[in-house]
Amino acid sequence: MKDDNLRMYLIAITSLGIMWGCSSAFAAEKRCTAGGEKVECPTQTDAQVQQAAKAFEKETDDYGKGKGGSAYGIAPFDYLTGVGKKASSEKGGFTDTKTGKTDSGYGTTGSLRTELWDRVKNPTPGAGVYDQWVNNWSPKFGETLVAGADPIQGKTYYYSYCIACHGWTMHGDGPNAVDLNPRPRTLTRGAYMQKKTNLELFNVIKGGGESVSLSSSMPTWGNVLLDQDIWNVIAFIRAMQDVPPPKSVEDYLHPKSTFKPIKGDVDALNASKSKDFKEMQELVESDMPGRAPGSELTGGGFVEGGNRINASDVVLKVK
Amino acid sequence: MQGKFKFLMASALSASCLMLGAANAADKPEVIPGWQNASAEAKDSPLHDPMLLYAAGGVDGAVAVIGLPSMRTYRHIACGVDLHEVSFGGNNRGNKNGTPDGKFLYVNDKGSNTICELNLQTGFMDRIIAMPFPYGIHHIAMSTDGKFLISTGEYTGKMAKTDIATGKTEVIDWGPSPSAPDYVDQTRDGKYAFSNNYYHSTVGVFTTSPFKLIKEIPVGKNPHGVDVNPESTLAVVADKLSATMTVIDVKTLTVKKVIPTCAGPLHNAMDVYNKDGGSYRAGIDSDQGLTSKYVYESCFVADANVKVSYAKLEVVDEIPTHYRTGHIAVSADNSYVISLNKFSTGMFSPTGIIFPINFEMWDAREKSPTYGKTLKIQPVDGEPHNSKSIMSYLVKDWTKGQAETSDLLKPGMNPILDPAHRVKTKRYMIPKENTAPGIKVVNGVKEIHMKAFSYGYIPRQVRVNKGDKVRIFATNIDKAAGITKNPDVTMGLTIYGPYGTRTNMDLPRGVTAVQEFVADIAGEYEIFCTHFCGPLHLEMRATFFVDDPKKGPSNLANGEYAEAQQLPGLLEEGQITIAERVKGL
Repeated sequence: MKDDNLRMYLIAITSLGIMWGCSSAFAAEKRCTAGGEKVECPTQTDAQVQQAAKAFEKETDDYGKGKGGSAYGIAPFDYLTGVGKKASSEKGGFTDTKTGKTDSGYGTTGSLRTELWDRVKNPTPGAGVYDQWVNNWSPKFGETLVAGADPIQGKTYYYSYCIACHGWTMHGDGPNAVDLNPRPRTLTRGAYMQKKTNLELFNVIKGGGESVSLSSSMPTWGNVLLDQDIWNVIAFIRAMQDVPPPKSVEDYLHPKSTFKPIKGDVDALNASKSKDFKEMQELVESDMPGRAPGSELTGGGFVEGGNRINASDVVLKVK
Repeated sequence: MQGKFKFLMASALSASCLMLGAANAADKPEVIPGWQNASAEAKDSPLHDPMLLYAAGGVDGAVAVIGLPSMRTYRHIACGVDLHEVSFGGNNRGNKNGTPDGKFLYVNDKGSNTICELNLQTGFMDRIIAMPFPYGIHHIAMSTDGKFLISTGEYTGKMAKTDIATGKTEVIDWGPSPSAPDYVDQTRDGKYAFSNNYYHSTVGVFTTSPFKLIKEIPVGKNPHGVDVNPESTLAVVADKLSATMTVIDVKTLTVKKVIPTCAGPLHNAMDVYNKDGGSYRAGIDSDQGLTSKYVYESCFVADANVKVSYAKLEVVDEIPTHYRTGHIAVSADNSYVISLNKFSTGMFSPTGIIFPINFEMWDAREKSPTYGKTLKIQPVDGEPHNSKSIMSYLVKDWTKGQAETSDLLKPGMNPILDPAHRVKTKRYMIPKENTAPGIKVVNGVKEIHMKAFSYGYIPRQVRVNKGDKVRIFATNIDKAAGITKNPDVTMGLTIYGPYGTRTNMDLPRGVTAVQEFVADIAGEYEIFCTHFCGPLHLEMRATFFVDDPKKGPSNLANGEYAEAQQLPGLLEEGQITIAERVKGL
């Protein structure tokens, strides 16, 4: 009985520590370990994230003043975000903001039309039309580094959900990075990422940082993404290993990854047969919001939609 | 002496006049942007408006009544916490504006998990239907017979059919998780309801009787708005992350065409014509044989509305909007499109730390010399979600004492309700604090430090025990409204259901909002953002768990949901219709 009380007390203390404790020594230790070895923590320095935050602030201020521009200086980002899109009045050179001026460099005289007309006039045939907006302005991949997962599909979700902290280019320098402690990881750093298994990545994305005793700033994406979407995001992360910040549009559109699939690791194709994966799934699912035991409202399922396909139907082959 | 004084006065006066003149001359002439119509005539606002727009006001908990085309706000009708969708009583045949019979307007309150009934003739709320928990109502759609509403349970992956008269409600699960039905529309023959499933990236087809899911149709990534045309032959879907419109054939329940549209499409609205091709006038024209020519789609990211022709099934025009359009409405006479813009970056005079959002009315009459131009753009109160238009003649004049001599008010009718917005809570703002996110106990109070960013909250899950005194510190840490880069982003934080009335926090940049209350009802309740902060605003959610130590950790199957449904503090017993959960409505 006394032991039980002690155990309860210990659990209470530990969970309080986890709740509170992105900064606890335990978490910090685990955070900077990969494959059982100590590695350099793959995060940006304070100075780097502050500089990035300033760049984003400037970009938004410019937006408020009716100027176009990109924090990274890479034009295609602007097409994705809508900033600096082609827009001009009948007088020419006007955009639709208060100042009536633009220096985005994209304006064409005599047209109010934006990039959407490129797609309206020349739609990608078949289901590919669902990815055309993003694909027109970002890298495409002919192969995958994670069997049964598609980096092109993962890309849309990365650009939507991950960029705010991990940054457009996965360098851990998104606009919110400066306000987070610990900093979000640099997802490109090979010395670290090469040792992180797919199983570990899946766990932290689906269950969030707290599910692996790491930062509570990493959200529980399993309440937003279905499992196959998470696999696709992992494939996109793998496709960007050791890719430096782009210096040109060419660099940006053709990233070259150094990732080599880890021997014996679980992937989207063999996950259903893996005991480790099954255990991890059960643990993560049991602690997730939006679940109602004994009803249809449980996770881990598959629904066809938004170009999501079964792992066995992914045609991209492993390099 | 006196003369000298007079001279001094005169010179002082003339000097000040000169200065005034100089100041006027120094003012730059106002730049009229090319998108705006600047008519020299002052007589552009009629005293009587032929149409009224009812706008669900979001965080201000009120429905705004706005005249069309004057765009003057007539009044606000208080209802609840966070209002999303308006739906006129009558039937749904007149398209999104329905075929109103002039009796009631139904508005769903996402914050309180309720449906409010407004009496259009008195101009006040007269009933609240409290939905069962766990649910999380996002939108409602009127049935063809006018007797029930189908709604979406965004937070729990559920759908519901509610009998309006009795409140009896049938709730069905739509798994697997994550699952989020947001928007719903019913066919005009009363056969089907179509709802998006945001995380499944599908559109679910439901038969209305019996109420069940019969098919999921794969569409583009993260679809939001789903609308059926008046002929009930097509359903159009706004695929947000695919920048496409999926057109579904209602007869075969398959995808007919996918049309590339604008970046970040959110919602659709259509014009509607009577069987002779004129504008459809509810209450005058037959509601049979109605048709539509164009569907307008809002583009949040691209700052535009696109116009899609039903005959060609392709984009035929693009109209710039200012800025970040969410919902979109068509005036009841098809003349104007009202773009409900979420940002007013750089426009209007500042009024404090929260920016106003705006309604922009552009001319949709193809033969008009001002076609495609903005005729009116005005800042609005709250954070309006959808709005719908009604012909003004459907609301009678009751202001000359008719309430006494007519049957407008009769004994035994529902009383006029004017509920408090915030109860059992203390709310204030402090300078921006930078305490790490998490929970700590200070003098017996559970202090929850939360950061809000585009698009999410840190931490994502908050657990407290039943009876805990809770103090939430919420800080907007955004620099750039992720993806769209608007610098003036405001966030919100509301815990839906019984805590909706006690939170409803506004989180402007640069401050920390604080809210105190007692967590006295156990259960799992979603935390959501009440300011439309960007294209992924819908994902901005977290979960508030109130655990009863005697019953173990709360989840959707374990909580005091019957008590939550009573909305304690909001209304007295007897003033609320408890939507009783039934099988097979």
